[in-house]
Formats: sequence, structure tokens, C-alpha cells
Amino acid sequence: MQTALMLAILILCGALGDVSLAKGMKQVGALPTLRLRALLVLGRKMVRNGAVRLSLLFMIADFLTFLVVLSWADVSFIVPATSLHFVLATLGAKWMLQEHISRVRWFGTILVGLGVALLALP
Amino acid sequence: MKTAVVLLLALLAQAGGNVCLSAGMREMGAASQLGGPAMVSLLLRGLANPTIWLGMGLLGVFFGLYAATLSWADLSVVLPATALGYVINVACGAYVLHEAVPPARWAGVLLIGLGICCVSWSVRRPALPGRTIGDPCRPR
Repeated sequence: MQTALMLAILILCGALGDVSLAKGMKQVGALPTLRLRALLVLGRKMVRNGAVRLSLLFMIADFLTFLVVLSWADVSFIVPATSLHFVLATLGAKWMLQEHISRVRWFGTILVGLGVALLALP
Repeated sequence: MKTAVVLLLALLAQAGGNVCLSAGMREMGAASQLGGPAMVSLLLRGLANPTIWLGMGLLGVFFGLYAATLSWADLSVVLPATALGYVINVACGAYVLHEAVPPARWAGVLLIGLGICCVSWSVRRPALPGRTIGDPCRPR
């Protein structure tokens, strides 16, 4: 029960981190070029953006939860379970970012999740 | 094309970062116990290790490039594409480190490859009115 709860927190934090980062980066605006000056301007805007800062908090929570779960469960169990993150983050992209996700994209996302789960099996 | 190139650079930086962190941790040796003082000592030794700093720097580059990609492309496209990193890891294990890769893992690589192809195809296929071919995002 404890492992299931922590896994749920782990998957949720990972997905929310990605969705928040995507939301923040859309607010910050697209990077026009890969020149140093443009990168510095983008970095400054990222630091000031609330959604990007929130995404960092979620990612730190995700990493710390991962370390905690690793201390009592096998990595060969954790990694396949966390492949649900791909599906959950795509659901977040659909509902929170209003992205249009076609059936083909859903199918591809589910294939990727299954593939990641297979990679981690012993 | 821009998304694919920047994501590929991001994934290479991530793979390099993971390798450096792993090498740095091995240079320091295994932690003898997981108590508070042992963890603080491990952390201090880690901060003095240049390989760990290089690994963290490369992971920082990964984060920056990943975030930059999300500034112009949809999360539902970028996120599945990052799974290519797993494929790079398996390929490096098999062909560089000569590790034995079981068939189930190759099947996983195949599924990830097929999945990324499907996601890429969905980007090129105009599915919404007003969307042009090759435009991954909503009309702005």
C-alpha cells in the first residue's frame, strides 16, 4: 500500500512537472535562435516564470520520491510502473494545455509507454 | 527538423550526464552506511569531484534544451520522443559495453521506435481545420 501510494505520487509529480514546464515555456515564448544572448534572455524569463518554478518543485519532488521508493522496491518494478507517466502527462497536455491529440499520437504514446515497461523487465 | 535536432542534442547531453554521474559515484566508492554523517560526507566528496560537476552540467544542458523545445512544440510530441534516450542507453550497452541484451528488451526498443514513428507521423498529418502540414502546435 505504501509503495503504491509513493508510486502514485512519483508518477503524478513527474507528469505535473512536465505539464507545468510546457505551460511555462509557452508563456515565456519560443526561442528565436540558439545564440548565447537569446539563451540568456530566455533563461532570465524562465527564472521569473511561476509555472517553470512550479515545474522545478515537481521535478525535485519526483526525484526525491524516486530515491525513497528505490530504497524499498526493486528498480525492475519501479521503472515499468513509472512508464504510466507518458500516458498521464499526455492526458495533462490534453486537459490542461488544450493540445489536440489524435488517435495516432495516442497509439504512439501508449506504444512508447509499453516499450519503456518492457525495457525495465528483468 | 529543428525539434528533432535540439531533442537529439538534449538526449545526448542526458546520456553523457548520466555516464559522468555514474563514473563520478564509482570514483568516490560506495557509501558504507546510510546515516546522516555518511551522507553529508558523501555529498561533500561529490561536490569536490569534477566528474560529478561535469555530469550535473550536462544534465543542466539537457534540461535547458528540453525546456527550449517545449517553448515551440507540443508536450504530447516532445515527451514520447524523449524515450529515444532509453534506446540510446540499450544500444550503448549492447554495442559499446558488449552487454547481453535479452529479447524482451529489444522488443521494448522496437515498441519505442514504432511509438515515436507514430507520434512523428501525427505531427506531419494535418488533423485540425486551419492547421498546416508540419505545424506541430495549435494555430497561433
